[in-house]
Parts: sequence; C-alpha cells; structure tokens
Amino acid sequence: MAAILDMKGIEKQFGVVKALDNVDFSLEAGEIHALLGINGAGKSTLIKILSGVYSKDAGTVTIAGKTVELGSPAAAIACGIASVQQHPELVDDFTGVENIFLGQEAKQAGLGRRVDRKALKRQAEQLLKRFPIEIDLEQRVGEMPAVDREIVAILHALSREHIRILILDEPTSTLTEREKTSLFALMRQLKSAGIAIIYITHRLEEVFEIGDRFTVFRAGKRVTTLTCREGRASQVSIPELMLDEKPGDIFPPKAKNAAGEALLEVRGLDRPGLFSDVSFTLRRGEILGIFGLVGSGADELSKALFGVIRPAAGTITLKGKPVTLRDPHDALRKGIFLVPGDRRTEGLTLSRDVIFNMTLAHLGKASVLGGLFRFASSRKTSAELAKRVALHPMTLDRPVSAFSGGNQQKIVIAKGLYRDSDIYIFVEPTVGVDIGARATLYALMRELSAHAGVLVISSDCDEVHGVADRMIALYKGRPVTVPDQRPSRDQLLSAGIMGARA
Amino acid sequence: MMALKSSPLTLRLLAFVLLLGVIAAVFQSFAPAYLSENNLHALLRHMSVNGLTAIGLTFVIVVRHFDLSFPGVASLGAMTLGWLLANDYSLAESVAGGIGIGLLAGLINGSVISYLRLPDIVTTIATGGVAVGLSYFYSNGTSLSENFFMSGILDLNDSKFLSLDMPVVILLGAAIVAFIVLHCTRFGRAFYATGENRRSALFSGIRVKAYVLTAFGLCGALACLAITLLVASSGAANVTAGNQLMMPAFAAVYLGAALFGAPSIPATLAGTLLMSAMLNGFTLLAIPYYYSDAIVSTVLILAIGIFDPKLTTLVGGLFSRKPAR
Repeated sequence: MAAILDMKGIEKQFGVVKALDNVDFSLEAGEIHALLGINGAGKSTLIKILSGVYSKDAGTVTIAGKTVELGSPAAAIACGIASVQQHPELVDDFTGVENIFLGQEAKQAGLGRRVDRKALKRQAEQLLKRFPIEIDLEQRVGEMPAVDREIVAILHALSREHIRILILDEPTSTLTEREKTSLFALMRQLKSAGIAIIYITHRLEEVFEIGDRFTVFRAGKRVTTLTCREGRASQVSIPELMLDEKPGDIFPPKAKNAAGEALLEVRGLDRPGLFSDVSFTLRRGEILGIFGLVGSGADELSKALFGVIRPAAGTITLKGKPVTLRDPHDALRKGIFLVPGDRRTEGLTLSRDVIFNMTLAHLGKASVLGGLFRFASSRKTSAELAKRVALHPMTLDRPVSAFSGGNQQKIVIAKGLYRDSDIYIFVEPTVGVDIGARATLYALMRELSAHAGVLVISSDCDEVHGVADRMIALYKGRPVTVPDQRPSRDQLLSAGIMGARA
Repeated sequence: MMALKSSPLTLRLLAFVLLLGVIAAVFQSFAPAYLSENNLHALLRHMSVNGLTAIGLTFVIVVRHFDLSFPGVASLGAMTLGWLLANDYSLAESVAGGIGIGLLAGLINGSVISYLRLPDIVTTIATGGVAVGLSYFYSNGTSLSENFFMSGILDLNDSKFLSLDMPVVILLGAAIVAFIVLHCTRFGRAFYATGENRRSALFSGIRVKAYVLTAFGLCGALACLAITLLVASSGAANVTAGNQLMMPAFAAVYLGAALFGAPSIPATLAGTLLMSAMLNGFTLLAIPYYYSDAIVSTVLILAIGIFDPKLTTLVGGLFSRKPAR
C-alpha cells in the first residue's frame, strides 16, 4: 500500500530539550497506527506538528506524494488531517448533531439565516451511513456517556469529507471495556473507509486488539516501528522498548502479613439508581480492590464513602463505631481520604502551586495560633512529601497544571499523606498516567497500606487484579462476590462485565 | 512588553507607580491645588470610603461571585445609623447597628446564594433593591442629621490619630486585618481554593458554602463601615448615600487584579488609590460625577485590556516581530 503520509527527519526543540530528534514516520491509507511512549517521549509533539499546532524546526512532511507545510491547524485540516483531543471540547447543551456540525451548519436562505435543522439531520444520517455506528445523536451531549461523546468528537472531525488522516489522543482513557468495544467498532469502520488513524494510548493490550502497526518513541527518538503481527511474533517487550530498561512487574508484591484491625465496615449500603446492597470490610495493612466499569456505581460508591453522596440505607462503621458522613470535611476528620477519579476538577486547584495543593486538605496542620499559615514549615513538609512521592520535576512553585498526569496524581496522593489518614480511597488512580509513573503510584499504594487501609476502585481490571490483596467486582451497582480470595483476572473481568459468579 | 507579560512583581509595581505618576501629573497641570496638602488629605479620606467597600468586594470576587447589592445595602446602613443617632442611641450602638444591618444583608445574600444556590447577580440585584426600599422606611426619604453634632460621629471624619486622618487609620486597620486573613492564614487559602476550583476545595474538606457566606457577609459589613465614614464626612444620612459606591469598588478590585495579576488586598488598595486619584481630580476640576464616572469607566476597560495577558502577548508579538525580520 502506498504511504498516505510520510514524515522525514522531523526535529523540534523546546529550549534546551530536543522534543523530537530526526524522526521518520509514515502512515498508510486505512491503517490504525498506535504511537507508544511514556510521557515526554515525543509522541504528543509529533501529532501537534502534524495537526498544525506546533511548527517543526526541520524535516519534511509529504501527504499523498505532495510536500506540504502544516503551518496552522486550518492548514492541517485543509491537507486532510483531523485530530480529536484527549478531552474533546464539546458544547454540553447542544445535541450530538449540533456538535458534529458546529461551525459549519447548513443555513436556510432568507432573513436571519437560521440553522436548517432538517438539513443537519440529513447530513448526520449520511455520515452515519458512511460509518454505521449505534448512537443517538438527538441527545444532548452533556447527557451522553463518555464513549458517545468521543464518537461525536470523531464524527465532528470527520464531518469534512476530505479528511484522510485522523489523530486520536488517548480516546480510551475514560472508557469502560464495553464502551471501548463500540469505539473500536467505529475505528474499524473508518479503517475500511480508507481513513488512516494515528492512535495514542497508554494501554498496550489495546494496541494488539485494534492496531495494525505501532511505533515506539523514547526521549524524542523513534525506537522502532513494527506491525502488530511482528510485535506478537517476536515477543518483544514493549514496556522495555519504552523505558529502555527491563521494567519488571509494575505491580508491587502483595501484603506479606495478615491484615490487621477492621478499619471500615460497610453493610448493605444502598442508594437507589446508583448502587445497592454493598457490603465489604477494609482492614489495616491491605489493599482492597473494587473492579467496576463506568456506570457500575463504583465512582458513586466512593463518593458515598467520602460524604459527598448520602446513602439511602445501610451502615458505615469506622473502627467499630457506626458513623454518618455529613460531608467531605467530616469524612476527612474521621480519617478517610479520597483520591478522586477526576483529579483535574476534584483533586487539584490547577492554577496554584504544589505547596498550596499539598496542604489544602489539612489547613489546620498547616497553620498556628488559630489560623496563621506556616509558610516555612509547609514548604519544608511539601518538599519532603514531593521527595517521598518522587515528584518530577521537583519544583514546588510551579502551578500543578504544568505537571504531567502521573505527577498530578502524585500531588493528590501527597495531599492525602499530609492529611495522614487511616483509609485511602483511590478512584481510577492511573487514568492518563504513563507506565513508568504507574509503577510508582502502585508502589506508593502498597507503602500506604502498611499503616492504613487502601481501597482501590477502578474500571481497569488488570489494575485491580494486579494491585489488590482482595477484590470484589461491582456490576450494575451490586457487588458480585468473587468466590476465592484471589480470583483469576478473567474471573474478575467476567464478574465486572457480565455479573457472572464464577 | 514581553517583560510585562512574564510580570515579576517589581515590574508590576513600576507600572502602578508610573500610572499613578501620570494621573498626578495630568491633574496637577490642570488644577495646581491637586498636590496641595489639603487636597491630598481629602483624596485619602475619599479613598478610605472606596477602599473599605473594595476590600469587602475583594472577598466576594476571590470566591468568584458577584455582589451588586452593596450600594443599596450601604444606603440602608446609612439610614439605620442616622435613625439610631436621631433616637438618642450612643455612637457605638448606632455605628454597630449600621454595620450590623450590612452584615445581616450580606449574610442573607450569602446564604441564599450558597445554600439555596440562586444565581448571585440576580439575587444581589434583588436584595439591593429591597435594601433601597427599606432605607426610605425611616424617614420617607428625607435625610437624617439630628443629633449628629452631639453624638460625636463627625469626629470619625475630623479627628486624627498619629497625625493621620481617622478614616485613613480605619482603612489601614481594615486593610491590615484583611491582608492577614486573606494572605497569611488558612482561611485565606480556603477563600482562594473555593474561588479557583470549588469542587476540589470541597473534596479537600473546605466548607465552601460557609466561605461564600462569609465573603458576602464581609462585603455587606464593610460597605456599611464605609458608608459610616461617608455619613460622618457629609454630616447627614441620605437614602442615596450608597449610590456612588458601585463603580469605584468594582473598578478598584478589577484594576488592581489586572495590574497585579490576581485579586488580592494590596492589589485592591492600589486599584482604589488610582481610582480615588482620578475621581478626586475630576471633583477638583468641577467635572460632574456622571462625566467622571464615564471617563473612569473607560480607563478601567483600557487598563484591564492592556494588562490582559492575551492582549499583551498580541501587542508584544507585533513589536518583537518587526525588528526580527
């Protein structure tokens, strides 16, 4: 097959950092090509050059045999390259159809040039005919599940007919297993329509599921490009290629000692429509895992354990004492710390520096004499915490928005360490976190569990299975008991996806 | 221009001093009395009123809300103060009564907005309207000045403390307390956290609703403290007393925030000084307030525009591109 895109000798320098160093990259029509690499390896820079956001310092870009200059996002679109951001920006109050054609609505002739809704609907139907996928486009985007939002964003990118290259930046990071299936179905549709897809992900198993070829980046250089068949046949370790070292198991060893006292006992916790009849016990010294897809009630359960959502029935017992959690303030005082699933909106004040964030959950500890802030000691403690969670870069005065996803998560964890809680609840702890930082986060969880109880709630089955000592699955709001203490990965997966009691 | 964008504090301070110097030079050239000792005293007294209101408003802006009720609330506070004085209450009781009314109005605003989740702009317009209506209740709208001489309220304007005018002392005192609260305590952190990301503040155990409530309470109370000084200087309580508080207070907070990058107490004080320097100059030139308000509002828009990082980058780009080619 002929290459539709050919990039040769691409270079990009930011200050002293060489983000891309003499990179070649080519793409064939109708292939799904995964870009792999830890954060900062250069894959984002490459796609930003390709989508016209950054300009390259050197090198050539050839599309369908013609050398082009991608000076701006508009120029990239004109060349047939469309991209979908990691967090697609859609108008929540508009329907799917309105979002797809945002900015290029069909107009009626005459006064006011009103939007021609019928024509829009017709165009949308045509689009769905080109790429048959099951989706209700009349729904408001704000009410759509994550996968439908992603699909709307992709259809928006493809609403211009000449698009031949589609860039997807971590499209699956917020999706459940089930939702992934429908996204992958759409991707296969696009592929058969001859559209080439560049696909960034941190999840390696997806590459073999959907990809044709993959390219590994490391430190601004292209390490290798292989077809997935070659990759499987040659038994290369992709993490090894990404990290340039043998990464061992990213999961820490399980707890050695028997778990201690019961810290948190949940009995028959119920909130109609969200979760029902949830019971479990969390002990000091262990990591308890709850595997639940998005929509299984897992996220809501974590909020009920943190005083954000009031359960309708059931009891929560802390160290033998039944409690009612009135609000997060109350939950924190009773020794519960939540590392929320959406760290950007729930976990961090992005515009503020590391110290502000690390001390925020326990301002009482950070102040003296009824409230005077202890600037010096806060800085000192924050520096120690930053060292403990291996924050990178190790700067305390940077706004946390400038840190990568993994390091932002480390800051949230440091916030919990500063609070010194008995119970740590992690929700989707490694979404958007690269594999190197993931290992650090898992190790931190294990370290925390030495003196506290750790509850990990995640829609990533491997994560729950890999990190937890005991685990349950949550299916449609109900816990599915997995019979023995250590179910196999597949037992856990089928329990969470189908509610199967193995 | 590029240096301004990266904005170290010294550069921002320099810009502030420069702006103040330009204002002073312009007015001095038109009205030679501008920099006279008498007028500077008047300017600072005037600044005290606007400064106190603006400090209260700063708290509301920091938690990312709006209060449009404080002019009306201040009028009500003024009339309450006047009525209490006219009915032989002591000075302390009367002043406390006036400020208490402001606090109460602020707390009503705050609880309706944070606990009942009504939109802030509409709510405060409404409570402001109610307050104006209530202020007519005491005297059917005529101004109150009975007992003013005897009560000693005029001393709030006329007396001195360590050779500083009393209003200036009160402003400085309030500013120092507000500075410590907002910038040196856990409460200040909580105010900013609430404003910058309410959800993450909630998840960090901060009682965001209580902080929003407090911000509105402070805004109402400080507006009424400010009006107390205005009543003291004019010698009568008037139902329209609060009318001229709105624009200078908002302008001070936003001008300060634009100059120094974020709303804060020093920024608000700097903004107030610039506003008062202009408003005082216009008074000296006998320009009626409706024109001076218009001019000051224009300056406000220009200032915010100039210090907006997007615009600075754009302009900076224009200047730096030319020599490069």
